[in-house]
Amino acid sequence: MGVMSWFKYKSPFGLAFAFQRITGIILLFYLILHLCYLTSLQSRELYETLTSITVSRQFIIFDSLLILCGVFHGVNGIRIIIHELGIGHELRRVVLAVSAIIAILGWIIGSYILFMALGD
Amino acid sequence: MKFVIRRFKDDKSFWQSFEVPVKKGMTLLDGLFYIRENIDPSLAFRASCRMGICGSCAVKVNGRPRLACETQLSKFKKEIKIEPLDNFRVIRDLVTEFEGFFAKHKKVKPYLIANTDYENPIEQLQTPEELKKYYIFTLCIKCGSCLSVCPSSATLESSLGPAALVSAYRFNADSRDRGKEERLKIVSESFGVWRCHSAMECSEVCPKQIEPAKAIQLLRRETLR
Amino acid sequence: MIDCDIAIVGAGLAGMRAAVTIAEKNSKVSVAIIAKTYPIRCHSVCAEGGSAAVLRKEDSFDLHAWDTVKGSDFLADQDAVEFFVRECPKEILRLENWGCPWSRNPDGTIAQRAFGGHSVNRTVFAADRTGFHEVHTLYERLLKYDNVEFFSEYFLTNLAIEDNRIQGLSAIELKTGNLVFFKAKAVILATGGAGRLYGFTTYSHQVTGDGMAIAYRCGVPLKDMEFMQFHPTGLVPSGILMTEACRGEGGYLRNKFGERFMQKYAPEKMELAPRDVVARAMWKEIIEGRAFEGEHGPYLALDLTHLGEEKIEQRLPMIREAAIKFLDIDPVEEPLPVKPVQHYTMGGIHTNMFTETPVKGLFAAGECACVSIHGANRLGSNSTVECLVFGRVAGEMALKYIENVKDVKINQEFLKEEEKRIFDKIGKGNENPHTIKRELNETMDKHLWIFRNGDGLKEAIRKIEELKERYSQASIADDCRKFNVALLSTLEVGYMLDLAEVVAMGALLRTESRGAHYRLDYPERNDKQWLVHTLAYYTREGPRFEYLPVTITKWKPVERKY
Ligand code: HEM
Ligand code: SF4
Ligand code: FES
Repeated sequence: MGVMSWFKYKSPFGLAFAFQRITGIILLFYLILHLCYLTSLQSRELYETLTSITVSRQFIIFDSLLILCGVFHGVNGIRIIIHELGIGHELRRVVLAVSAIIAILGWIIGSYILFMALGD
Repeated sequence: MKFVIRRFKDDKSFWQSFEVPVKKGMTLLDGLFYIRENIDPSLAFRASCRMGICGSCAVKVNGRPRLACETQLSKFKKEIKIEPLDNFRVIRDLVTEFEGFFAKHKKVKPYLIANTDYENPIEQLQTPEELKKYYIFTLCIKCGSCLSVCPSSATLESSLGPAALVSAYRFNADSRDRGKEERLKIVSESFGVWRCHSAMECSEVCPKQIEPAKAIQLLRRETLR
Repeated sequence: MIDCDIAIVGAGLAGMRAAVTIAEKNSKVSVAIIAKTYPIRCHSVCAEGGSAAVLRKEDSFDLHAWDTVKGSDFLADQDAVEFFVRECPKEILRLENWGCPWSRNPDGTIAQRAFGGHSVNRTVFAADRTGFHEVHTLYERLLKYDNVEFFSEYFLTNLAIEDNRIQGLSAIELKTGNLVFFKAKAVILATGGAGRLYGFTTYSHQVTGDGMAIAYRCGVPLKDMEFMQFHPTGLVPSGILMTEACRGEGGYLRNKFGERFMQKYAPEKMELAPRDVVARAMWKEIIEGRAFEGEHGPYLALDLTHLGEEKIEQRLPMIREAAIKFLDIDPVEEPLPVKPVQHYTMGGIHTNMFTETPVKGLFAAGECACVSIHGANRLGSNSTVECLVFGRVAGEMALKYIENVKDVKINQEFLKEEEKRIFDKIGKGNENPHTIKRELNETMDKHLWIFRNGDGLKEAIRKIEELKERYSQASIADDCRKFNVALLSTLEVGYMLDLAEVVAMGALLRTESRGAHYRLDYPERNDKQWLVHTLAYYTREGPRFEYLPVTITKWKPVERKY
């Protein structure tokens, strides 16, 4: 019992559920942080110091992970919504596999764009 | 084969191993009976039909709920780990408290609500197509596997849980039933269908392949109509 | 002490059907359903094939009654049978009204299939899970009533009877291990058969005949216990039932030469002859060496391959599921290995056709009772309806009976005695009860099987006496009261030994062959001497036997041919 039981998954579906929770919370956390960040940009100097920390090659790994969270959460969210409409329960393994592939593709493409944007 | 069993006695819990000789075609339940009959007569577990229809014998095997009587030992290698179901309070060894589970089932009014006369029953018609709409959901054996893996039942004990909702849908989808409104009211209250987060574990572990998750979503759709 | 008006022991078809009647007719009477397992874990859920009832014009009550009487080898009480067949259709329709998912014809009417020993398609069914759906329907129906309370996982230990009147009963609450007393104005026993006397059996593990044995020890006679039904098609090696509906839907039985050997034994009905006839034929094939040899001994083939996947999936889905899960054989592609298996207890607690036992206020219904409508051999699909019909009668009779009972008192002596017996007297030795049970199973499987003979029966009785002696030294290897399965097994074995003794001695005394009881040394039916019911009374020295004539109304005994 308790919160830890969310992670006692028995199948890939349980794992997806656990990740949906975690990524959702991460996204929410990030959103709040992001809003704090934006509201704190009161002067030009602050903007430059902060962006010099966050927009950098070392930080790109976090951005990439954020993309993963976002893409996974979105794609998996759509998968859940499909099933919640009562559709495709018998094909749920296929749907899960497809959404996993889409999520990974989305992550790679997103990271690539990010990397290119930073690259020059 | 080594059976590693999580035992509970006098509020103490401990792991105990037993060596069980395995023959071809032997099931996990046969193994448990072997232990009870030859090694430790006090090993408590439930079993009745030994053919997967009574729902007594669900236990957690290597982390996943299974019906002991339907589980072939040949599927496993050297060791097998057996625990009582999660999300149920343990009474003794592998025996868990089911009163609450049955009480939830009772809550959804799982009986046909129709205008029939006890003394003079008549034959109500139902075509095979109408039967097919709900038949799969009548197959629930109330083994509790689904509830034991349901994350929302784990954190909120008062959630109705998959099996009860399956029952609710089974009657709502029955062409002879006239109690849909009553039942929808019950399941749309706070501990019913809206507690489901589509983790789909229930559909994965259900030994009768009932797809409880689907029943819940179909029920949800009805509540929105 | 728990107080109730009517206590029902056993939560299978008969027990729950009785409870529904009581609740339906009187919402003020308090009903306690006391059972060893949760209601939907009872053995009735294992019933597969169907329930017989006359529903259509092509059929008639007389025909159903005649089939039943002929199937019983004329040992059934014909007044009871005539009453029974008239009640069957109503019960089927009531279940329909309560939500039972009967299989349907395309026009929406209830479908019926062929079954062994019935002259027309008379068996109503819900795929091949008839018992399962009936039990669930009744259980769910019961959830509607407020005056019915379930005491699940309570193990009956004794009945309180004074001046030949029932006062209540005692039971162990498994969860806590405490002995609990129920005060009741009337008690209905619906505890099922005694199949686990045998090793190779279709029964669930808990069907050890406790109710019969307890009633017997309390002085209620047991009737016709020597008649044990063997079902032709039990899956080898587990004994899981392959329903008669397999043959009803058109399946064949074949020996190792591929012959449909039933041609020799029942040229007209073939595979759909009554169970005793088919089981004997199969056993003969096995003895005479025309069976397949497998690692678990000889077997015959139940061939469904010609039915096609669609029909099997629609009509016999559970059979297919079980065969695949337990044997890895798909009946669509390959025949199933089967041999005869112990399946039903025709005998039971002696009751009249109104389910009354000789003790006032004690009723019995279902398989644990012997009304008798099955006589020496039950027809397939007559037992589930029997539970429904006589469960209802028992409920009504109990209701009527308690009208005139003011209050009952349980004797304090009884309470003390029972505590002492359960917790201090039993299980102080060091003999493993499971070993005793295994040896009992072996004895029954060997000597009280399909073909019996005098010497074998004497040997069996000797062995049972020896086991009884050893049982007095049985052990209970568990000191914790909570869910004490060791205590349970020990008590059960004690009950089984008593019943085994009655079965074996009854079989030895009955020097004829009738229905399921076949004596190699007396192969003929003997109506002059043996057209009687056996009654066994408990005494300290072992059973005392009396005989009771069979009631015959319309149908005089004739030769039985199929
Ligand atoms: C593409 C857009 C999105 C989709 C399709 C989506 C979909 C979902 C779905 C289906 C769930 C599961 C609900 C359930 O468990 O029943 C969920 C949970 C959650 N989402 Fe999103 N979401 C999206 C964006 C976001 C964003 C941007 C945030 C952060 C601000 C967020 C925060 C959360 C949180 C905290 C949860 C956890 C609640 C839970 O697990 O029940 N989501 N989302
Ligand atoms: S829905 Fe499936 S897992 Fe849940 S109780 Fe019923 S049979 Fe068991
Ligand atoms: S023993 Fe009945 S389901 Fe396993």
